[in-house]
Amino acid sequence: MRKEGRKRQVMLAIGLVLVLGLAEAAQAAEKIVIGAMYPMTGRAGRYGIDSVSAAEIAMNEINAKGGVNGRMIDIIFNDSKANPAYSIKVAKRYITEDKVNFLMGVVSSAVGLAVTEVSKENKVIFVGTDHASTALTTEKFQPYYFRVSNNTYQSAAAAALYAKDIKPWKKYYVIGPDYEYGHRTWEDFWMLLGRQRKDVQLVGQAWPKLFEPDYTPYITAILSAKPDVLVTTFWGGDTVAFIKQALPYKLFDKMKFYNYDGGGNYELLEAMPTGLPKGLVLSARHHLNWPDTKQNKEFVAKFKAQTGRYPSYAAEGAYAGVYFIAEGVRQAGTAEDPDKLVAVMEKIKFKLPEDPEGFMSYMRPIDHQIVQVQAIGETVPDKSFPPATMMLGNWKIFKAEEIIPSVAEIEAARKAVKK
Amino acid sequence: MRDDKPGAKYGRDEWAQWGVALVVFAAVPLLGKKHFVNMGNEILVMGLFAMGFNLLYGVTGMLSFGQAAYYGVGAYTVGLLLSKGVAPFWVALPATMAVGGALALVLGPLCIRLSGVYFTMLTLAFAEMVWGIVFKWYDFTGGDNGIQGIPMPEALHSPLRYYYFTLAVVFVSFWLIRRIVDSPFGAVLQSIRENPERTGFIGVKVRRYQLAAMVLSGVFAALAGGLFAGYQHSIHPDMLHWTKSGEVILMSILGGVSSFFGPLMGAGIIVFIEDMIGKYTEFWEIWIGGIMLAIVIFFPRGLIGTFDTWITRWRNHGKHAETAARP
Repeated sequence: MRKEGRKRQVMLAIGLVLVLGLAEAAQAAEKIVIGAMYPMTGRAGRYGIDSVSAAEIAMNEINAKGGVNGRMIDIIFNDSKANPAYSIKVAKRYITEDKVNFLMGVVSSAVGLAVTEVSKENKVIFVGTDHASTALTTEKFQPYYFRVSNNTYQSAAAAALYAKDIKPWKKYYVIGPDYEYGHRTWEDFWMLLGRQRKDVQLVGQAWPKLFEPDYTPYITAILSAKPDVLVTTFWGGDTVAFIKQALPYKLFDKMKFYNYDGGGNYELLEAMPTGLPKGLVLSARHHLNWPDTKQNKEFVAKFKAQTGRYPSYAAEGAYAGVYFIAEGVRQAGTAEDPDKLVAVMEKIKFKLPEDPEGFMSYMRPIDHQIVQVQAIGETVPDKSFPPATMMLGNWKIFKAEEIIPSVAEIEAARKAVKK
Repeated sequence: MRDDKPGAKYGRDEWAQWGVALVVFAAVPLLGKKHFVNMGNEILVMGLFAMGFNLLYGVTGMLSFGQAAYYGVGAYTVGLLLSKGVAPFWVALPATMAVGGALALVLGPLCIRLSGVYFTMLTLAFAEMVWGIVFKWYDFTGGDNGIQGIPMPEALHSPLRYYYFTLAVVFVSFWLIRRIVDSPFGAVLQSIRENPERTGFIGVKVRRYQLAAMVLSGVFAALAGGLFAGYQHSIHPDMLHWTKSGEVILMSILGGVSSFFGPLMGAGIIVFIEDMIGKYTEFWEIWIGGIMLAIVIFFPRGLIGTFDTWITRWRNHGKHAETAARP
């Protein structure tokens, strides 16, 4: 008797699993599936975790309103480990196994370059949300790639416009991490500044390795070179480490500190509630307190409410990525036809938290690079986003169209590679 | 000498292992999942890398912490030759073996001057140097961005065909490794592992043999790297980083360094775990750590090694019972 009962239970369980499985499969066919990859461990982990939270917020917002054309959005996440080989593997699994409609994510540019190749081979659209290498939209451009955050060229161009007007900044010193991002962020800036100012001079440069623990020897070298302004292309923990180590040398009293791509991340402001000097000139791809629009305030407040922390700039990129995909599917009326999607996605114009009043971010067809306003600010005392005691202020705003490479420049760069 | 070392003549068990391995890998595509084909491909490549490494570690007793250099150089040989249009894949792939061997001929003599942990440190140091060069030489290697879109020949475009190609290359390599281990040369290598001084006393030029082992190991590592480049169409300096060298050690120990197919099994497990755990949790590191801990504690001789011991014990147990029963 007991055996009989057990048998029935087993049969029932199998039946239940089958039914649930089928139901899920039926539902999955309806869903718009996004395969996301972000680093969730290691030094870039904060960027990844914030991106994941923000993508989920965007997904829930869209689904709460009934989804896109009646279809719900579903995002699968996987740690990219900031490792290109591993990320390729994950991207391939997303495509063959999970049948995703879109790939999204990636903080490291090297990973971005690897994943864009998978996207191209499989004709699955890849939406880049937080890697900045210009190569992805110029030399290594492929039609199924889109980027919804600024690239290093845009930050550098805004930075050059900012620096051009400051007459006392004549002697420059640069320090940055010794890999492509560090160099390229600087070189674009220096090239663009050189076109507009003939009286600037580079008095020294230093390229410590990425994640260098000890900057002391570099700091003393910088002090003895006596520059007017120190440009750094550090990001994340490196910025924090450098500033902390330079403080005892009173470096910030002797020169201006300028980090225009990743330096103004909330990660830094939060990491140094005490001791962060006033007057550092910084920027990032998104700011908590600029622009002062309802949409930005709501985004920041919602993120804080759901996660208990304020978002670092990567979050808004991921948020934008999900909305970008949703808008593309809505306009194309499909999530399955990549060519049709590309045709509408390259003309998308939409309002993001980082857009000031009267401006909407838009995609440029020539390079699939989003065009956005860039704001550069200075650290000023401001306790409205604790634990930070300094926030950015005294903003200078640079128009989106002034900081993008021209179509001719992009074509020239692509031609140069082909040769 | 214990008969479970790699030098043991084929037992019935090992023939069975060859059979099982071949059938399993050949049957993977029949499951009809592209994802399994991709995973199988990676397991084969990492398995070859690990088996080549084991020629050095399990067979000759030299723990190199720098095998990623050869693996990466192999991958860059294919990547550079193909992307610069210098040579076709059919030339580039065999060329990896020459390049890997040549690199070992350069680095080997510098490393084998020392033994034990000092040897290990030297291999690590030289591998890091190679990594540094690849990472920084933007004009030639593409620096930290690596090389993408490696153009593969039409015949190997489909993942399925490439899988069977890899399968053939890898199993031929396994067979070669087996032949090497079984040869008189392999016997000398094992004798070096057991006792280098005594081996020297019987007139063997120990360093020369150690160098030969390094070269062979480098050849197979580079071949694995070349196969990987052909599989992913993208390569990156991470492939030469010390973590990759660590990974291959981990795989070998996990499967068992004293059994021929141990490293392949270890590669399979690591690749599988990485894939499965990464899918469900971002805390994959703690899982891999936990699994490693469990294996070290419960399977001190690696999975295959420990299973072998169990089987032998079980069989002997029967024999003892028989003899005991006799008057």
